[in-house]
Amino acid sequence: MSRLDRTRTSAHQLRPFFSSQNLLNRADGSAQFDFGESSVMCSVIGPAEVKLRDEKLDKATLEVVVRPLVGLPGIKDKAREQAIRETLEPLVLSGLHPRTGIQIVVQTMKDDGSILATAFNATILALLDAGIPLKSILGAVTCIVDSETNQILLDPTTQELANAKSTHTFVFDNKSSITSSPENKDQEEAVEVATLYSDSTGLFSEEEYFECAQICYKAVQAVHGFIRTAVQKKLEKEQQQIHS
Amino acid sequence: MRDADPSTNEREFLLAALKDGARIDGRKFYDFRTLRLTFGAEYGAVEVQLGNTRVLAKVSCEVIRPYTDKPTEGFLMFNTELSPMASAAFEVGRQTDEEVLVSRLIEKAMRRSRALDTEGLCIVAGEKVWSIRVDIHFLDHDGNLVDAACIAAITALLHFRRPDVTVVGEDVTIHTLEQRNPVPLSIHHIPICTTFAFFNNGERMIVDPTFLEEQVKEGDMTVTLNVHKEVCALSKAGGIPMEIDQILQCTKIAVVKVAEITAQIQAALEADAKKR
Repeated sequence: MSRLDRTRTSAHQLRPFFSSQNLLNRADGSAQFDFGESSVMCSVIGPAEVKLRDEKLDKATLEVVVRPLVGLPGIKDKAREQAIRETLEPLVLSGLHPRTGIQIVVQTMKDDGSILATAFNATILALLDAGIPLKSILGAVTCIVDSETNQILLDPTTQELANAKSTHTFVFDNKSSITSSPENKDQEEAVEVATLYSDSTGLFSEEEYFECAQICYKAVQAVHGFIRTAVQKKLEKEQQQIHS
Repeated sequence: MRDADPSTNEREFLLAALKDGARIDGRKFYDFRTLRLTFGAEYGAVEVQLGNTRVLAKVSCEVIRPYTDKPTEGFLMFNTELSPMASAAFEVGRQTDEEVLVSRLIEKAMRRSRALDTEGLCIVAGEKVWSIRVDIHFLDHDGNLVDAACIAAITALLHFRRPDVTVVGEDVTIHTLEQRNPVPLSIHHIPICTTFAFFNNGERMIVDPTFLEEQVKEGDMTVTLNVHKEVCALSKAGGIPMEIDQILQCTKIAVVKVAEITAQIQAALEADAKKR
């Protein structure tokens, strides 16, 4: 089955990833993450001085600012800010930097669907670039249930989102792993899957939800692998620069 | 969070170098930094890099009802909110003086100089006109935001294509990009800003100051010109007083710079058009 964007052949295929880190000079860390023609830039400043009002005695304060591509920030962006902040709060080892602030700015650069998932991935890369201590790495993917075919499509474009019956965004950390049980090799069983964030809109059944979760979980492994390679390459490059 | 002032060493080194006829990044006094233009896949999206300063401009359009006293005029709006991404000194929801100055200058350079033909945006007089919106996102601040934003805005407007419309009597059909080729906006001229910074009691002037140079400067002036050598806007907000001759000299330098930048914008647009 060919998809609407014509570059993909399978419903469970993600668009090509792209990322680059350390693009901005004034921020402590920055990254850009692309899912095909969707692109998000993220900058991180911190741990730095924090407003007295926001200061926490035992940990760092996370501040997330989400800025849309067109128009002024609205309710949707505020909701995304909250989603990103609350997902990251347990991940960042904020106890190591008490009475400081970490400011994260998320800017959409190109919008072709799955922006929230792209934003999550950009944010984690920017945090890694800034050297903020983290408990684990997250990876995010969006999927939809098509209203006509009832098929689950991964990483939808804007065009595909228009035909969605329901939309699901999942964020998983990289600590949980799939192991196949010894007696039944085909049956994969997820052991201790830590879902960090799950957001669903639209009408869907319980089976559909869990199927989406399963498919997204598998897809996120590719994102984790990509983030790992991206960080590895960046560190290798830095090493070479130090020794050359 | 306020920006830290440059250290005395940095400041004095920069000033001493300028006195000796050198800038710390090795440029000549009247040189711009390297300008890079990157276009997005959609029409009307452009990323401008002026040295380390980075600006993203995105043009969008919608159909709205015009003002009753100007029934045939379309709208051109700019959104130039400074994002904390560019610098930690910019806070969300609080306008700094710099932000006000930047947005006013862009407004003057683009809208008040009538660079865009707003009458051409009319679909049905008194009923429907196009509203063109330019969102300018500042991503990285290494000085001279005005020039970078101005180049980004005008390039994005030149790159933008709006959907084609047909009017039959009272019925208006807006064709999607797939149905019909979208049409470019009619742009009268290309205004380009050139910012000067002054040092050493106004004796030394430089083009396209970096962030450090902006922090140390004694005054600045922005000249907006088009390629026909017409002054569109001129802004000198405070700073040290200057001789009339010097202002004339600034505009003369700007004429050369504007010609260079316009040529570069047009070359980039042509290269992009070939790829599509």
